[in-house]
Amino acid sequence: MASVSSDEWRTVCDKFTNAQNLTVVESRNDPENDPFRSKYKARELLREIHCSLKSFEAGEGEAERGGEEIGDQRPIEPPVDGQLEDGFGQGFSGDSPAGLRAAKLGAVEYYLGVNHVDTEELSAGQEHLMNCMKLLERCRVSSENVSLFIHVRNQLGILWAGRDETETAQGFLETAESIYQRYIKEDGSPPTDMAEYFTTEEKLLTHQERTKRFELAYTHTMYYLAQVYKNLGETERAATYCHSTLQRQLQLNQYSPMEWALNAATLSQYYITKGRYMEGRHCLSAATVISGLAGEVPSEAAAQESETESERREQLMQKRAEIARCWIKYCLNVLQDSKKLLEDSIGELDTDRQEELKRARRREEEEEEKGRKSALLFGSEDTFDSIVSLEEKVRCLLPLDFAEARAVFLVGQNYVTQAKEYFQMDGYVTDHIEILQDHSALFRALAFFEEDLERRCKMHKRRVDMLEPICNDLNSRYYLMIRRQMMFELAEIYNEMMDLKLTLANRQADTQSLDNHTIKKFNHLCSASAKYFQMFLDSLCSPEGKIPEHLEEEVLRPALVARFRLARLHSRLISSSPSVQLENLDKSLENYKYVVQYCEAHPEAKATVETELELSTEMVGLLPLKINRLKAKMTANN
Amino acid sequence: MAGASVKVAVRVRPFNSREIGKESKCIIQMSGNTTTIINPKQAKDNKSFNFDYSYWSHTSPEDINFASQLQVYKDIGEEMLLHAFEGYNVCIFAYGQTGAGKSYTMMGKQDVKDQQGIIPLLCEDLFTKFNDNADNSMSYSVEVSYMEIYCERVRDLLNPKNKGNLRVREHPLMGPYVEDLSKLAVTAYNDIQDLMDSGNKARTVAATNMNETSSRSHAVFNIIFTQKRYDAETDNTSEKVSKISLVDLAGSERADSTGAKGTRLKEGANINKSLTTLGKVISALAEKVESFIPYRDSVLTWLLRENLGGNSRTAMVAALSPADINYDETLSTLRPKCCVVHLCGLHQNKKCQALAKHTMFVSGISTLSVLFFLWYLMTKIKYRTSSPDLSLKLINYHCILKCQETEKIIAELNETWEEKLRRTEAIRMEREALLAEMGVAMREDGGTVGVFSPKKTPHLVNLNEDPLMSECLLYYIKDGITRLDTDIVLSGHFIKDEHCTFTSSTGPMGESERPLSCSTGLQFRTSVFNIDRQEVKPPNSLCFP
Repeated sequence: MASVSSDEWRTVCDKFTNAQNLTVVESRNDPENDPFRSKYKARELLREIHCSLKSFEAGEGEAERGGEEIGDQRPIEPPVDGQLEDGFGQGFSGDSPAGLRAAKLGAVEYYLGVNHVDTEELSAGQEHLMNCMKLLERCRVSSENVSLFIHVRNQLGILWAGRDETETAQGFLETAESIYQRYIKEDGSPPTDMAEYFTTEEKLLTHQERTKRFELAYTHTMYYLAQVYKNLGETERAATYCHSTLQRQLQLNQYSPMEWALNAATLSQYYITKGRYMEGRHCLSAATVISGLAGEVPSEAAAQESETESERREQLMQKRAEIARCWIKYCLNVLQDSKKLLEDSIGELDTDRQEELKRARRREEEEEEKGRKSALLFGSEDTFDSIVSLEEKVRCLLPLDFAEARAVFLVGQNYVTQAKEYFQMDGYVTDHIEILQDHSALFRALAFFEEDLERRCKMHKRRVDMLEPICNDLNSRYYLMIRRQMMFELAEIYNEMMDLKLTLANRQADTQSLDNHTIKKFNHLCSASAKYFQMFLDSLCSPEGKIPEHLEEEVLRPALVARFRLARLHSRLISSSPSVQLENLDKSLENYKYVVQYCEAHPEAKATVETELELSTEMVGLLPLKINRLKAKMTANN
Repeated sequence: MAGASVKVAVRVRPFNSREIGKESKCIIQMSGNTTTIINPKQAKDNKSFNFDYSYWSHTSPEDINFASQLQVYKDIGEEMLLHAFEGYNVCIFAYGQTGAGKSYTMMGKQDVKDQQGIIPLLCEDLFTKFNDNADNSMSYSVEVSYMEIYCERVRDLLNPKNKGNLRVREHPLMGPYVEDLSKLAVTAYNDIQDLMDSGNKARTVAATNMNETSSRSHAVFNIIFTQKRYDAETDNTSEKVSKISLVDLAGSERADSTGAKGTRLKEGANINKSLTTLGKVISALAEKVESFIPYRDSVLTWLLRENLGGNSRTAMVAALSPADINYDETLSTLRPKCCVVHLCGLHQNKKCQALAKHTMFVSGISTLSVLFFLWYLMTKIKYRTSSPDLSLKLINYHCILKCQETEKIIAELNETWEEKLRRTEAIRMEREALLAEMGVAMREDGGTVGVFSPKKTPHLVNLNEDPLMSECLLYYIKDGITRLDTDIVLSGHFIKDEHCTFTSSTGPMGESERPLSCSTGLQFRTSVFNIDRQEVKPPNSLCFP
């Protein structure tokens, strides 16, 4: 081979630099009608380099003949990449002349392969990449060639995934993964980058730069594996690999803080929907800490001065508010999961269960400690402590009593305030309301743990206070869906409050009779609930006020449930006047009938409201009796 | 009925000269409302799709099945205009591969009778309806806005002072809106035509200067009209505001055909190479129930939400190329349409919903994902509601307004019609001054509309693949020397300082012959400047009779 200092070699190096420049820089400016102009130019240069390498080889005579077979038109063997032992077992050692020659030729084949893939010539690309694989097959993995070992498999992974052959892609990428791991274990020295094969001595990379490039290649392997597992439906594994990708970006300092933080926050949402709160909390804490590295939010004054500052201000504020919203969901899910675990069949706190869980708590705490040690943790030296201290502010174990629940609630509420600072009503209607709905849900979950019914009622009142004015002020022309959600929620809150008031009154008074004040209060809450159920139902009507004959799937259950609840509410209103009673009962019957008749006309609806339908059918049979009795009494009295 | 709120049409155009040159075969068949596409590689493999309308415009008007511009307007435009008068928000989308005839359907050829598209016909009808109305208690006012969304940035096409990125916001009463977007008052159809034309000019200038391609941007033209009814008995005025949005979506062809530039999340099993897409991969993992995914929807979908929910009526027109060479793109144009029909007609299609869910958080310029998102919304929001009296509510709300933003909107609302017209005029002057500064020629009355090819003066005209943008900028070459850097201002990647000069002088034959010379070669990438459609090579002189 031509000596590294010869002029011929220098020419090769220059060509390579040129080709790289064409591929990476120039190609961005290629015109629309000739999009691959620079890439084609680069391809020519790479081909010339390939020829030169071959001729150096021929010129030196004594070289093994092996390399020449490469150009042959051998049919491509089925891509199998499972025999990872090969790379470490036999073959040329990486620093032998034959090994170096194979690596150099392999690298050119690799660059040619990538070039063909980029220009949408997949099978030619595949051929070059497989040529590279074959050249490497004869070499042992060493610091001279390990980078190429990884890169070529990354590319083959992408190629096969693009052909919907996900398992084949998986094979290549998993081999890359194990080659990396074994190399790090057995050697670990900063490996040569492929670009260095074609640079003159003085331009060789520093150890630091070598490591950086090599590690980045492996980060990509992780990222590609994440996508492969996602496409294979192995979500959990995909999440683990996304996690590793993020962790590596942080460790190797190859990330932009805001983007990273947002990605970590998004990953937390995966974990919390899977109930893995420790991981979720870790992602969120890291997201908050790393987002802090993106710098101070420019002041309002600075933002008015320059457009870039104003945009930066906007971006930073928005993204931090979004991370806050991810935290809200964390707190909310923790509380709701805990509620699900502790509630009995009528939705009240199951104290036996509570005791049982509290006894199991100690074991859980130990497990948490163990889990933390084995989990993939984020953080570089300077951020690790801040992440841990942020984690300590909220528990990741499900709360088991009011005090614990309140601690989680307060953290969530704090993030609600933060998020609302950016997502204000004016300008961010939908976002603002979604945050309010979460706030209301936090209260709802907390109320479950509150034993004092009076205070529980006050919590529900807080929910009403935050939702009611907005629901009424919002223009339904633009915010129909969100208004419907709020109407339904308000109806349910009033219903809940009504039940609480009744329980309280019954506790206080031994007799069945309620005092006037309580009756008034009760009726008020009852009609408020009915009003919002009715508003919800009205919102389904046409502009002319016609009730739709057919209910859409996504409102089917809510609409029938609203009818059913409305029927119940009307029958519960307390009145001393028989004529008012009669009126209420008629309305009640009418709504029960609607549920029954709708389900008769649309049998497919039955399954969605089984319990409600059963009760409604019963009531349709019973209520007329009650009404008749009342009528009889009225005539008798008259 | 939900299906009634969205109408979907497809339309196939004749072969263009390139396709004729390549002896293309027509792969589209239509029968009734059904459109069938034949796989040119496997003739047996044909797929059929049902639409509200299938327009056969592949042949000429002699064919009885031929669908003319007027027929398309009568089916879609008239109905939509009627809905607008009833107070609905109306939106018409055009969608399809670049060059498939989107612009022809929407705009058509301005000056040729029978060739005008939906937009001009609809605008004309709008004003005819106003004028025909004999009811004295009714009065109307119309305002328009025109914006472009390129790479998630919103640009005001009607006000040159409004540079840069406009913010999209939501108001509790007014719904989603673009902050600072100019709304100009118009009194006649000609005004709309003028504004649209100058907007197109602004779009073309920007596209040429920024080295962008129009086919990658969405254009949204809004017509907002207010119907006021004065009730003499109660001395009350009631208002009904309607909005018509005409949306020219970016070309649906693959956005990444130029290589690895895009970081778009690819559909299917593809692997995204760049780590910049990590967030999108992660967000696809999380379930959307009880979680928050911090990725914003794209500007367009955000803005048009109101056009899909509540009080709205939507029409979509998919433009198709008939040629076999475009099979893949045409099929993909048809497919999502099929979803809409499916979703609206049958109320559920799990696969489609999953697809919509999958793509709903993809922002960027991928038209497909935008469309999927729109459909996703449609499956969720399919209900209309009666419109509350907006003006009445505003008065109540006025008391509790503190925010600066809201004040801006209120100021806008309180602005009288005369003030609006004056402001419109001022913006028009600024716009024209700006265009004039760049050397773009004006008609004598100051209007900039259409191609008014001056017969006697030599001039430059821009050409563009997009017929809407072609020939819409005109630069005069005056007597003597015209410099392409100070007299005619063009900027762009391929324009050098002192790029070239044109010399126009009287030739030996006197006024009847004016040789025109050009100093250096003209090199333009996206727009080729021709002199009388002959390429100019330096040094060159042309006789210009």
